[in-house]
Amino acid sequence: MITKKLIDKIEGEACVYFDIKDRVVDFATIAFPNFRGIQEILKGKNALDALVITPRVCGICGHAHLMATVRAIEDAYKNGGYEIVLNQKIQKIREFTLIMETIQNHLKWIYLTIMPELAQLNKSTKILTPLKSAFGSSIAARAIATFAGQWPHSSYMLPGGITCDPTNIDALKAKSYVDELTSFFEKESLGIGIEEFLAFESCKDFKNMDSDISFIEEELIKAGMNKKGFSHDRFIVLGNHSYTNPSKINQTRIYCADAMCVEDIDSYSPNEKTYAKNAVYSGSYYEAGSLARQMSLNVPIVKNMHRRYKDSAYSRVMARIFELAYLLKESNSILDDIDISEASFNAPQHINAITATGIGVVEAPRGPLVHKVSLEKGVIKEYKIITPTQFNIGSSTKSDPTPAQKSMIGVSKEDALFIFRTFDVCSVCTTH
Amino acid sequence: MARVTKQERKDGIISVALKLFSEKGFYITTIPDIAEKVGMSVGNFYNYFTSKDILAKELVVYISEYIGAKIKKINESDIATEKKIYEIVSMYFDMADEKPEMIEYFLRVYLSNREVFKEGCEGMICVSAFVTELMIFFDEGVESGDLYDQDFFSAFGLFMGYLGGMVFLFGEKILPDSLSSYKESIAQNIYNALKAR
Amino acid sequence: MHSKQDKKPTLIWFQGLTCNGNTHSFFNLHNLENLLNKFEILYHPSLESTKNIDEITACIFTCDIFIFEGTYDPLMKRNDVLVSEILNYYAKDANYIIAAGTCASFGGMFKASAPERNSGLIFNEADHEGPIIKYKHKVINISGCPIHPEWLGYTLNMVLSKKELEVDKLHRPIELFSNLSHHGCTRNEYFEWKVDSDNFGEKEGCLYYKQGCRAPMTHASCNKILWNEVSSKTRVGTPCFGCTEADFPRQSLYSTKTNMSIPQDMPIGVPKRSYLTLAGIAKTFSIKRLEGKLIDYKKTH
Repeated sequence: MITKKLIDKIEGEACVYFDIKDRVVDFATIAFPNFRGIQEILKGKNALDALVITPRVCGICGHAHLMATVRAIEDAYKNGGYEIVLNQKIQKIREFTLIMETIQNHLKWIYLTIMPELAQLNKSTKILTPLKSAFGSSIAARAIATFAGQWPHSSYMLPGGITCDPTNIDALKAKSYVDELTSFFEKESLGIGIEEFLAFESCKDFKNMDSDISFIEEELIKAGMNKKGFSHDRFIVLGNHSYTNPSKINQTRIYCADAMCVEDIDSYSPNEKTYAKNAVYSGSYYEAGSLARQMSLNVPIVKNMHRRYKDSAYSRVMARIFELAYLLKESNSILDDIDISEASFNAPQHINAITATGIGVVEAPRGPLVHKVSLEKGVIKEYKIITPTQFNIGSSTKSDPTPAQKSMIGVSKEDALFIFRTFDVCSVCTTH
Repeated sequence: MARVTKQERKDGIISVALKLFSEKGFYITTIPDIAEKVGMSVGNFYNYFTSKDILAKELVVYISEYIGAKIKKINESDIATEKKIYEIVSMYFDMADEKPEMIEYFLRVYLSNREVFKEGCEGMICVSAFVTELMIFFDEGVESGDLYDQDFFSAFGLFMGYLGGMVFLFGEKILPDSLSSYKESIAQNIYNALKAR
Repeated sequence: MHSKQDKKPTLIWFQGLTCNGNTHSFFNLHNLENLLNKFEILYHPSLESTKNIDEITACIFTCDIFIFEGTYDPLMKRNDVLVSEILNYYAKDANYIIAAGTCASFGGMFKASAPERNSGLIFNEADHEGPIIKYKHKVINISGCPIHPEWLGYTLNMVLSKKELEVDKLHRPIELFSNLSHHGCTRNEYFEWKVDSDNFGEKEGCLYYKQGCRAPMTHASCNKILWNEVSSKTRVGTPCFGCTEADFPRQSLYSTKTNMSIPQDMPIGVPKRSYLTLAGIAKTFSIKRLEGKLIDYKKTH
């Protein structure tokens, strides 16, 4: 019998249709309601307007959309014969604000999604503090606003640079926000120093903590999540950043990858109309996100985790938490490298001169975000957005399941609902 | 006899000064020349204008406001942009006919003796009333879809340069016909050059 | 024995067609936890709530404060129930209905998803029409894409303290929306002396002439109550896109619409003639301090 479950307390809503046999999930399909038609809205608009429109795809990762758009338009400039070269300052500031967005996303997911759901699954009596994450996230948002004016929905990146012209006052302020956020994370979440945490090389090291994070780790084990939620053990990273290594990973073997191999295909959702398509890489489903990124970087503890627990729900969650700490450190070193005297913007050719196509690829919090744009004299002819959740949480047939579908097969419905959330579902992105 | 107000006196000076400056030239005309023609003492003249340079600048403002007020009336009338162009051309040529000293002063003194106006009359300061009205004219013309959206000075130069050139030719007595006989064709040419493409 | 908790006003946060941006923006409020503790949250899409989505869409409770985020789409369903039904049900008994963000206020970004039918709660752009127009006296629009956390915080605190909340003709609280987003912009002196910003990425110059800045035409207190308590669009050189107004989103957002180099839209209430007179004169002056860089790092090295 097929049972429907509406899932909220994620970014937007999703409907999962479970086919339960012998008390375990035999198969599940997924539908995303509430289409917004952003690709259509973009058609006929001035290309630069996309920098204002696409961040509104998503309230939690709009900055990643902004970056994907600016990269897509800059690629169109290049393909149209006017290559844009960005200096270090521009690249680093863009990178910094993007990282901060990922950090706030991960924090909210840990406290608003993972902890409550895990506590509920294990019937834990721990007193939860979900709003802690809003406070931590607001510090990250301040760091973004220092350069980007505001978060969410900043539009401070433009082809050729960024709109802000920061002084050292701003750079130092951003650094103090990172310090504050790091202390917050150490004190409220880790219970130990971030350097100590980042030096962990084995999952056993998590036992040395007594904190929210060690609670999550213990509860994951208690729920058997180290033995559940396995996907295809294939990973994809496509966005090029200082903290990523674009690659396709089969188990532990790392190959190079190219976003040109990504396409979106119709999904299989027999019970309800879905507005999401599935994203495939060279025709196959790959898992995207923090675990993929950390695997691509050969981070020791994540390799250890993968050796022990493969691509289980445990690995997915713990790799993400580890990435949060990793990115905090990375953001600090990015700030140290910013040379304030470099130009913020080098005016490119007028957008009206550009008739070309371009692709922009970014690692959003949940994985590769791909924007493809086709311009005619600076006006958008076609715009295509492929989001990370389309990689992870597509809905396909039983013979060729998507990562999320595969991860839910063979477990109880309750476990499946938790495992589903370990992918950090972004329905709003997916139903762009 | 009704008492002459200070403003009327001032207007009188302006009128005489315009004539003398445009007939005799700016440098040759002296304050005693103007005072004599107005019928006042040189001492009294200084109660109205403290120097010849200040008078020169006030004259530009006077002309600019005079033309500006006329164009404003045209701008505010409920007629098509094409007709407005005709009305502006017509107003300008009539002025050149009836008050040639105003246009003469503008062309021969203001535009030819920039050193006199370099302080206090830079850029748009003294001609603001007139230029503002032309800006309004162009802005409304573009917004209504009648005129082509282009750089302001490209359009301004075409319009005013053309009119100024015709008045100059007229003043030099080169034009075979009266100025007013050119109104129609010139208005048409300006419209053709500026209209929406 | 009644605990204090029983007397907390009840609150439902419900969503139409949205990006969740208002939810996430509100999460940035500095004193969020203390403020939320003053309410009983019956439902919020991201926060722990006392009721679940099934109970909420069954329309069996009432609430004191109903917050709606997102564009209203008459065909949209949540949990198989028409949003229109849910909206009308809760609006009937709520004391306050808050439209959180421009989508809920005027239709906003996602009006374009289905322009012929989508709208805000009591406004369709600037036209006074919408699904709960009969409850319009209870509706407070807090426009902004996204909503400014402190604007919503202020409104909830006003509601809690039972203070009279005056609104403008678009139902926005006047204490938040009587300002223009131009007020408090760090570039004001450049506006006064008509010094344009040559390019993006500069501290200097005003963005009104070329870069499309709508701040003088936009009711919002963004430069008075800063974003994330830190900054604002114009302070970081991004033009104001007018996201609090009923006509958001406009087009060609990074360039100023001009007619023969003359800005088409004037600061609110300023006659074009007066503006052009002043601008023409101001542009005449060459003020070295305003034309140069504020800081030349290359030189000071």
